[in-house]
Amino acid sequence: MKKRSHKTYWIGFCVVVALLAAAPLALPDFWRRFLTEILIWGLLAMSSDLLVGYTGMLSFGHSAFFGLGMYGAAAALLTVSPPNLWLAVGCGLVGAAGVALFAAYFSTRLRDIYFAITTLIFSQIFYVIIFTWTDVTGGENGLTFRRPPLSIPWIYATPFTNETLHWFVLAVVTASYLILRRITQSPFGMVLQSIRENENRTRAVGYPVERYKVVAVMLSGLFAGLAGVLYAIQNRFAAPDFVYFLVSGETVIFNVMGGIGTLIGPIVGAGFFLLLRETLSRFFTEYYLIPVGMMFIAMVIFMPQGLLGFARNWLNR
Amino acid sequence: MANDLNDQDSSYEFWRSGKVTRRRLVGWGAGVLGATILAPAPWRAAFGQAKPYKIGTIQPLSGPGAVGGKTALIGVQMAADRINKSGGINGRPVELVVADDESKPDVGRRKAQKLVDDDKIDVQVGGFLSNICLACMPVWEEARIVNIISVCLDTTLTTSKCNRYSFRPSDYAPAQAVAFAPYLVNQMGKKWHIVFADYAWGQSTRDAYVAQIRKAGGEVVGATGIPLGTADMTPFLSKISGNFDGLLGVFATDGVTVGNQVYDLGLTRKYKWAGDGAIAESTNLPALGNKIEGFVGINRYLPVLEGPLDTPAHRKFLEEASVRLKKIDPTGPLPDRYVQSNYESMNALKLGMEKSGFRGREDTMKLIEALEGLEMKEGDDFPQGDKVLRKEDHQAFVREFIFEIRGGRHRIVETVAKEKTLFPPACKFPAA
Repeated sequence: MKKRSHKTYWIGFCVVVALLAAAPLALPDFWRRFLTEILIWGLLAMSSDLLVGYTGMLSFGHSAFFGLGMYGAAAALLTVSPPNLWLAVGCGLVGAAGVALFAAYFSTRLRDIYFAITTLIFSQIFYVIIFTWTDVTGGENGLTFRRPPLSIPWIYATPFTNETLHWFVLAVVTASYLILRRITQSPFGMVLQSIRENENRTRAVGYPVERYKVVAVMLSGLFAGLAGVLYAIQNRFAAPDFVYFLVSGETVIFNVMGGIGTLIGPIVGAGFFLLLRETLSRFFTEYYLIPVGMMFIAMVIFMPQGLLGFARNWLNR
Repeated sequence: MANDLNDQDSSYEFWRSGKVTRRRLVGWGAGVLGATILAPAPWRAAFGQAKPYKIGTIQPLSGPGAVGGKTALIGVQMAADRINKSGGINGRPVELVVADDESKPDVGRRKAQKLVDDDKIDVQVGGFLSNICLACMPVWEEARIVNIISVCLDTTLTTSKCNRYSFRPSDYAPAQAVAFAPYLVNQMGKKWHIVFADYAWGQSTRDAYVAQIRKAGGEVVGATGIPLGTADMTPFLSKISGNFDGLLGVFATDGVTVGNQVYDLGLTRKYKWAGDGAIAESTNLPALGNKIEGFVGINRYLPVLEGPLDTPAHRKFLEEASVRLKKIDPTGPLPDRYVQSNYESMNALKLGMEKSGFRGREDTMKLIEALEGLEMKEGDDFPQGDKVLRKEDHQAFVREFIFEIRGGRHRIVETVAKEKTLFPPACKFPAA
C-alpha cells in the first residue's frame, strides 16, 4: 500500500513537471513569463517553509536573503564582462548565505515572536543600508544590468530565450524542491520537526538545538538567495523594495494560502496568490486588494490548512 | 481536532448548501462577460470602425505613491478625452489602457509586460516613481515601444541609463539647479546649507545644486541628509547651525513634514528658506498653513493665473483640471505639476504621432525620429509654455518659475526662459 502511494506520488510529480515544462510552448508571452515568475516566488516561499513549517520559526527576514541574493548576482553581472551566469549564481548565494549566517547567529538564540521580530529588524537594517548607500547599490533606483547567456563553462553559451529561461528556472526550482524534500525527510529534518513540536524536550534528549536552528536558517536563506538570483536574471534589475519586510510578509501569506509544512504548498500558494492578484487587478484596478483581502480571510477561516491541505482532505474523503 | 471538524462543517455548509450552484456561477459569469463585450466603448460612437491607438499608462494608483498617481492619471485622461473630442490622432481615436503599479517595481515591471504582450499597446505614457520607471525601461526597449516619461524625476533616466525609446518631455534636477542657482546666490545669499531627502533623487539633486551654486559664485557650506519617510526630522534638523545665509530644501514626498519642522525649530527665522517646488506643491499648502510663508521655490508649473501663466489656454486647463480633481478629492485641490506634465506628455506624443504618420508599433522608429528635437508651442496643448525635446538625450527643457509663498498662495517672482535652463547632454544611446 505504502509502495503504491509512493509510486503514485512520483508519477504525479513527473506529470506536473512535464506540464510545467511544456507550458511555455502553449502559453502566450505574458503568461509564459508570469509562470516563470510564479516558480521563482514559489522557490522563495518553499525556502521559508523550511523554517515556518518544519522548524516552527516564523521568519520575516526572507526579504533580506532574497534581496541579498539579487544584489549579489547584480554585483557579479555588473563587474564582470561579459556577464557570467554561474558567477552570478555563486555571488548571489554567497551574499545570501553571509546575511543568513549573520542573522542566524543572533536570532536563533531567541524563540517565537522574539525570533520573528529579530529577523524583521535584520531585514530592515539591510533595507536601510541598501536604500541609502546609493554609490554602491543605486539606492532607491536599484541596479539594472544585462542578462547573462545560458552557459556551460568553456563548452557552450547561448542567449536566454523566454523558453530556455523558463526551463532553466524550472530545473533549478525542481532540484531545490528535491533537495529540500530530502533534507526534511533526513534525520536532520526530523530533528527540525522535533524542535517545532517541543524544543525543550529536543534539547533535553541531547540535540544542540541552537546549532540545528543556525543550519536551518542558513539553508533557508541559501534557497531564498537562489530565488533572488533567478529573479535578477529574469528581470535584469535589483531594487531595495525586494529587501523590504513586506516581501517577507507576502512569503508568509504564500505559505498560509498553500499549506504550511508541505514544501509544494507554498509554491501552490504563490501561484494562487499571484494569479488572483493579477486577474482581479485587471477588473478592479487599484481596488483589487479588497477582494484579495476578503478571499484571504475566507481562506484562513474555511481552509486553515491551506489549499494543499484542503485538496488532500477532499481527495481522502 | 474539534476545530478541524467545525472548519470542515462550515466549509461544507457554505459550498454545498445549494446557495452557490455551478449553474448560478456560470450564469452570472456569462452575464458579466456578455455585458463587458456588448457595452460600447465611448470612442466607438464617434469614430465608427476606426481602430483606436492603444496607449498604455502605468501609474501608482495604490500604495505610497497613490495620491500623486491618481492626480497624474487625471492629466493623461484629460488629454486623451480632449484628443478624442477633437477628431483623434490621424483620424483614429485613442484608447487608454491604465495599469496600477502599486508603487512597487516588481509589479510595475509585470504590468509593463502585460501592456506589451496582452494589451498590445502602441505607446506608453506614464511613470511616476523613478525606481519603477527604471525597472520598466528594459521592457519598452526590448519590445521597441516608445516610452514617454511623464513624471519620473531621476536624472539618470536621460543620462547614464538613457535609451532611444524613452523620452522625458518635462524637466529634471540639473536644469532646475541651473535655473535657480543664480537667483539663490544673487538675490538671497552667498552661503547655503542643503537639507535633502537621503535617497537617489535627493542625492543627485544635491550634487546638481552644489555644482551650480558654486558656478554662480556662491558656496555650499554643509549638507544634511534625512532618510526618506522620516516622520520626526528633529534629530537631523536640530544639528543644522552655523554661519550661512540660506537653507535649501530638496524634498519631494516629505514636503509637508520638512516644511512644518523647519518652521517649528525656528530655522526659517534664522535663515532664508528656499527649495524644490515640491515642498510647496499646491496640494501641500493646506497642511503647511502659514508655516510656509516666505518660502522661495522653483517649479515648472504653478496653478496661478498671473504673469506669463495668465493666458486663455492656461485658464482653460486650470478650470477643467480643477473640476476633475474635485471628483476624486472633494476638498478641490488645484492641479499640480503631475497633472500638467501628464497632460502635456500625452499632447507631445500626439504631436509626434501626427508628424510621423504613426500607424502602430511598426512605425516606432519614425515616431522616435519625429519626437527627437520636437518643438512644442505654448497653447491649449501646452499651457505651461514652449518646450523642446533635445535630440541627444530625449530630455525636454521648459521654462521654470521661481516663486514665493505669500498670503498662502504662489506668487511668481521670476520666470527663467527654457534657454537659460540648458544643461549639457550626458547620454550615450546603447546600440539598437
